[in-house]
Amino acid sequence: MCDADGVSSASGPLDGPDVRRPRPGFDAELRGGLALVGGMFPPTITPDLIDFMRTSYAGPPIEELLAGRAISVRDEVFPGHCGDEVIASVFTAEGVTGARPTVLFLHSGGLMFGDRFSGLDRVIEWVERWGIVLVTIEYRLAPEFPDPYPRDDCYAALEWLASDADRLGIDRDRLMVAGASAGGGLAAGVALAARDRGGPAIRAQLLDYPMLDDRGATPSTADFDGVGVWDRVSNETGWQALLGAAYRTEAVSVYAAPARATDLTGLPPAFIDVGSAEIFRDEAVDYAAKLWRAGGSAELHVWPGGFHAFDIFAPHAALSRGMIATRDAWVARVLLD
Amino acid sequence: MSLRVIACFDELVRGGVNVQALLSAGASMAGSVAGYADEQSGRTLRVGPDGEALAPEEPAATDRVCKTEDGLSVWLEKAGPLAMNDEMILERLALSIGLRFGRNPPDGRRGLSAALDPDLPRPARAQLLCALGLRPTEQHRIVCLPLFATWRRHPHTVEDVMNTSFGPIHVAVVGSTADVVDARPCGVGAAMALEDLDRSFRTAMVCLRLCNPPAVPIVLADDYGGLVELLATSPAGPLLDVDPLDEIMAHPWGAETLDALIRAGSIRQAARLADVHHSTMQSRIEEIQQALPFDPLDGFGRTRIGIAYLVWRLPHSPVLSAPPTAQQR
Repeated sequence: MCDADGVSSASGPLDGPDVRRPRPGFDAELRGGLALVGGMFPPTITPDLIDFMRTSYAGPPIEELLAGRAISVRDEVFPGHCGDEVIASVFTAEGVTGARPTVLFLHSGGLMFGDRFSGLDRVIEWVERWGIVLVTIEYRLAPEFPDPYPRDDCYAALEWLASDADRLGIDRDRLMVAGASAGGGLAAGVALAARDRGGPAIRAQLLDYPMLDDRGATPSTADFDGVGVWDRVSNETGWQALLGAAYRTEAVSVYAAPARATDLTGLPPAFIDVGSAEIFRDEAVDYAAKLWRAGGSAELHVWPGGFHAFDIFAPHAALSRGMIATRDAWVARVLLD
Repeated sequence: MSLRVIACFDELVRGGVNVQALLSAGASMAGSVAGYADEQSGRTLRVGPDGEALAPEEPAATDRVCKTEDGLSVWLEKAGPLAMNDEMILERLALSIGLRFGRNPPDGRRGLSAALDPDLPRPARAQLLCALGLRPTEQHRIVCLPLFATWRRHPHTVEDVMNTSFGPIHVAVVGSTADVVDARPCGVGAAMALEDLDRSFRTAMVCLRLCNPPAVPIVLADDYGGLVELLATSPAGPLLDVDPLDEIMAHPWGAETLDALIRAGSIRQAARLADVHHSTMQSRIEEIQQALPFDPLDGFGRTRIGIAYLVWRLPHSPVLSAPPTAQQR
């Protein structure tokens, strides 16, 4: 679960004596956080753990999220992939009227678990603080609903928000897609699809430690087996559940695995953050670099010693507070009046 | 949860984090403001559950304050008597802040961890264990468990979370009758005198790594005797006879067939143990014989395959990464 030292090798503690490439250790404060996380979110998630994770990683009850906040929420239904009904929760600040900046939030959970209330603590603060509209959707999950269900549900949400903007109190010019982990990959895919299909304008894309690449070929993917949160095997479990037979073939759509996209021109400004001690480090850095080379705007933050989603699992740690404050500052800059 | 609290503060102390980080961890776990005041420096710091520092204030009269003899006060801003978990958080928080300022024992370890340190003189170790309330005339065993182990019966005993090269491990001292612990997965060390409990600890760690739940949830050192102590003291480097097992263990039938072969006195008995037909066992054994550079049925070959099988299992142990399943919870 935890490294014995701050600096460690890529061979896990059970891998025996072979010494592999050195890798960054976890931040000392985050190691304390990991000691608490262990049983709830095991480092290695195999298909037989999907049911356990669906219970363990379920979002908090909505009353708990809203307790003590001047926020209203209502559920809406919109047509998702194939026109099927998909639920969305729309959060608005009490007493705020008119067209407001809006965030379409796509939750985390490896494409297989989590719900529209998972990992919502940080983004829900924006509703109260800035009066934004927050929309979080129950996109359908693999393996029961493989690609393209999840991403098409997400893209359909974007079209729904743009087409129903007046009724929902949405400022069409300030629509941001945001997501964490699996949701970050979906958000990047929505931005690509909106560009290619001439869809609704997206003001910005917020990609928190995004899951972008099914190919699993980066060094960081190999470096964190059996430690932290979301290791190589977990990632393979998620991608296989989503892609089935297409997994790691040329048949995979760039909208499902945006790291496969060769053309990143004409995309909205991106904010990408990631930990240095997690498997998504290299694909996140690569995606930012590709955006720059395509003339795009990208703000990239790699937090030293951060494990995957450390801001969700250990929000009190100094590194997490830095990550959250930095992200909030960017959102305020690109989205607010 | 209380063990997770211990493990968390152990990591923080080992990582040398500052007082705000310690307070924010305590505040986050307790869900309330945590504070400390130091008479020596005159410094006061309060931190909320979100990790943000708050204005320095004295604790309220109703807050539970933990004071040390040398003027350090640590508190949680919660009214009324604290729940057990909060007491544990406060105790560990105060201990950790004391360590941060160098006011606790120099090596910063608690009793059990030092008492099992082979580098300490044997009488000193026995003394530490006596101080923890263990009877010097009786034999004891160390049991080792992952933090996520499920307990059916949890005896009142000397226990702690220790940092090992396999991560934080729950370590407990029990009497020599091994049936006092019913928890899984669990490695039960050999019974030893107090000054030799470091040996019992090492055998318990090997036993824990030999567990393979749900089929093998508990492994007793007594079942392997000197073998398990050999494994505990042997270097982690490569060993002749072990590598060829990769090929055998890659078969779906590999582990159960080897297990049956080693336990049985004959192929017929091995077939019964593995619950397969005699001819199936015969053909599997032929395949095993082909994969090995020696005959596992002949003379020292029996010993070699037995040792190689145990050594192979250690680095391949699933037990420390296996999380609890939904049923276990």
